[in-house]
Amino acid sequence: MGDANSTLSEAEARHLLRRTGFDVSEKTVEKWIAGGITRGEAADELLKFKPQGFKPNGNSFEAIHDKWLKFMLKTKAALQEKLVLFWHDHFATGISKVGDPVLMTKQNALLRQYCKGDFKALVKAINRDPATMEYLDTVRNSKDGLNENYGREVQELFTLGVKDSAGNDTYTQEDIVQIARAFTGWRYNEKDEPFLRESRHDFGADKVIYKTTGQFGPAGVNFTAAGTGEGEIDAVIDVIFQHRDTDGRSTVARRTARRLIEFFGTPNPPLDFVDDVVGTGPEAFDQTWIVSGLLRRIFTHDDFYLGAGAPGVADHKSIAWPIDYVVTTLRTLKIKPKGKDLVLAGGEYFAMRDHLSGMGQVLFEPPSVFGWDWESSWISSATLLARYGFVRDLTSARDGGGTSFRPEKLVDLELTDADDIVDAVLAVCGVAALFTNTEKTALANYLTDGAGPIDLADDDYRNRKLNGLFALVLESPAYQLV
Amino acid sequence: MAITRRQFLKCGSTAAAGALLAPRLFGSSFVQDALAAIGNRYFVVLYLDGGNDGLNTVVPTGGVLRPWYESARGTGAGGLRLELADLANTAIGNDPNTGSSLALHPGFRASPTGGAGDGGLHALYQQGKVAVIQGCGYPDYTLSHEDSRLIFQTGDPSLSLYPGTGWIGRHLADAYAGQSTAIPGVAIRNSVPVDFRQSATSVLAVRRLRDFSFPYDSDYDSPSERTARNTAFNALHASAQSGVDPGFQYIGTAGATTLASTAAYPALHSLYNNNPTRNAFGKLYDNGTPAGVNRSTSRDLLEVAKTIWGTEQGMVNTRFFWVENGGYDTHSDQGAGVTDGQHFGLHAEVGASLKVFYDDLASMGVADRVCIMVYSEFSRRIEQNDNGTDHGSQGPMFLIGGKVAGGVYGNHPRIDPAELDGEGNTRYRQNGSNDGYESTDFRDVYGTILNKWMSVNPLTVLTPDTGDPTRNWTTTNFNMPLFLP
Repeated sequence: MGDANSTLSEAEARHLLRRTGFDVSEKTVEKWIAGGITRGEAADELLKFKPQGFKPNGNSFEAIHDKWLKFMLKTKAALQEKLVLFWHDHFATGISKVGDPVLMTKQNALLRQYCKGDFKALVKAINRDPATMEYLDTVRNSKDGLNENYGREVQELFTLGVKDSAGNDTYTQEDIVQIARAFTGWRYNEKDEPFLRESRHDFGADKVIYKTTGQFGPAGVNFTAAGTGEGEIDAVIDVIFQHRDTDGRSTVARRTARRLIEFFGTPNPPLDFVDDVVGTGPEAFDQTWIVSGLLRRIFTHDDFYLGAGAPGVADHKSIAWPIDYVVTTLRTLKIKPKGKDLVLAGGEYFAMRDHLSGMGQVLFEPPSVFGWDWESSWISSATLLARYGFVRDLTSARDGGGTSFRPEKLVDLELTDADDIVDAVLAVCGVAALFTNTEKTALANYLTDGAGPIDLADDDYRNRKLNGLFALVLESPAYQLV
Repeated sequence: MAITRRQFLKCGSTAAAGALLAPRLFGSSFVQDALAAIGNRYFVVLYLDGGNDGLNTVVPTGGVLRPWYESARGTGAGGLRLELADLANTAIGNDPNTGSSLALHPGFRASPTGGAGDGGLHALYQQGKVAVIQGCGYPDYTLSHEDSRLIFQTGDPSLSLYPGTGWIGRHLADAYAGQSTAIPGVAIRNSVPVDFRQSATSVLAVRRLRDFSFPYDSDYDSPSERTARNTAFNALHASAQSGVDPGFQYIGTAGATTLASTAAYPALHSLYNNNPTRNAFGKLYDNGTPAGVNRSTSRDLLEVAKTIWGTEQGMVNTRFFWVENGGYDTHSDQGAGVTDGQHFGLHAEVGASLKVFYDDLASMGVADRVCIMVYSEFSRRIEQNDNGTDHGSQGPMFLIGGKVAGGVYGNHPRIDPAELDGEGNTRYRQNGSNDGYESTDFRDVYGTILNKWMSVNPLTVLTPDTGDPTRNWTTTNFNMPLFLP
């Protein structure tokens, strides 16, 4: 059994860096292993970043999309970008309904500010976030025309989930209505500042929730008493965060922990793992609501490292999100897309956002309020062909200039042995440990199949076979995993 | 750029790894895979994403239902009431329970390009090709989009019996067992929908057939290079299929199927377009000359039409299709009878798209062998809000096809304000309820389709709901009269 004081192995270091970021920095791996760093120290190093703001140049969807993508391509605090992605999926909001890119930008900045901080404060900020108010119809919610959209989703998606760990309902339709009443009349002004339009607010003092779910008992909780008007939407979040599962553990803490484990770690974590990372005592997540503390417990837990380091693909893998696949590949192969549309030097000159759209992920435009479907839902014939199309464009980018794919700078052209070349390419792509000998042999055979003798110095051979080998690795099942 | 058949066969034979990729996509052995129970028929699912407002889809125009409707749906700014004048040209049959006269939303006879028209779903209804099944739902309904969609997609209101598999997916897994290279289903979207999900048989997700080709590096392309690439690609994917990680296995199968299918499916695009009759129909779906419907639903259905045509010509053998239209979560600005309203536009799009699709199928001579099923995850609240509607309960489904017995089935939900539940929604009324307003369990519709259209025992796919004591589902009583002999 390991814990935060266990020394990080090399396999664990690679696993941790890949899961919490994009490409794996060899320098960091070497430094950590040479220094005998512990899991806890490594987690602290990753979590120490200062949240960085978000100010795109330009007010179009394309401008904000590409700005975020460039952030991810350049950042030294990759964990921040992964966390903002997580929260963007969690508080899913799409520009096609919101309409105004400025509001999406401000929401993104908000997610950056809170990405590893106080989750309860984040939910309260989301209550007043203009993009969310548009997307979930708070601005159309009035005492004379109750709109339940936000009242439902703040419980179902942002905090409680529909069922607790025992499979019991966490809230009822009645609770949705009562919470929707609290949000009646909330609007935002021309400076995008939220305010309560009192003429549209339901000031009734009888807003009571959770009479039949949670631990509150048949009287439920009257959150109106905590304040009238403006105070209600904070008070209601305080009540939601007190909600307990049937076995007495915090519903919100468990659900949030589970989702973060599934995002950074592995699908379907056992309840013990979830409860371990929620933690106990004054530092527990349901006491502090501080996300970085929760993350530290994930990144130091034995279960997080299941599947790290075994030869071949072990169990407990996760399928890379399209954005992760693209950013990791570009960073790993040191390719910088060019121009305002971020295109590659070869191929079809598709904007990077079009590649991503084909793979099923457009930043600022999740498919619905549920965010994106994860894991095998990312994979279909259509999305795989989009991944292969990106690989083709990337490995055939030979037009010259800084955006070209230059395998000669990544692999020693003196190599003549097929197995050595395969090992070199797998190492460059960061997946050396994931390939079995049989799979490596298949790749080595490719280098000699249908071609003359191996000669990486020969332009025609290299352009065909070395580029082709990279394409095969980037298309391979193992490379789609993190 | 599409790989030629000869090149494909060469790739296939080189891929000795490939029992996996035996060239069954072609020739008689592939066509023989057709021996699944659906035979030479087709089944098309059209999903309306977001919760379609059923009360403004199948609308009471008289009888006891009309005053209830008018009390819930107002007039004036933001009012959602469809007036009798709005509904004058879209009458359908009467509600079987109350005898109240009914009409479809006027959008169902319009063209989304602006014409008031006399087309759409209503025209098909008048031809007797549309079964309108009112009040479809399930007991203890949920108002969560996600949960209710999953209930419809898995065919399981408990959401516990079939994690990760859809009702059609389970049927495909049974019907195509052992045929690892068969492609019985195609979804026109980016991902495989839950309805079609299962573990055994392959379902393709295709956005546009024309673009469904494998992207080789055209600067260094040659038959021998392709053979080498495909051989290695297939070896890696075969290895993944026998891996221990479920995601790894899934990608192994999906990747291998994708590569194999790219050899066959792109050609269906040109096969359709090169046929003058089909090509003329094709223009009615997209922005040809004269301009066709040209909405996402029609453009998606065009891909289905191409694949059905390709199947008819023996090129592939795909029988199950999935398309969707979004935008039904009309919490605000829903619009009533005005042609530029949101809901009007959605109905105009779907109605006109289905009409073009049906006419194309009729021209191909396959309309009698196609059944289209339209569903949404739930309907919407009877009482409107300011200018939209919140989540509701039971709603209508449609079946469309040459052998569908047109008419109105199922009872209109009991929209009497005094009879709504505490949430303001119509109650699911179990079989045998003594006031006559029995609801239709959506699994009655699924079961009837399985039983009569796919010729399989519905109980191989669906599990009767033991929570409803009035139900006693057996193979033979999944037997709504929805199909002609």
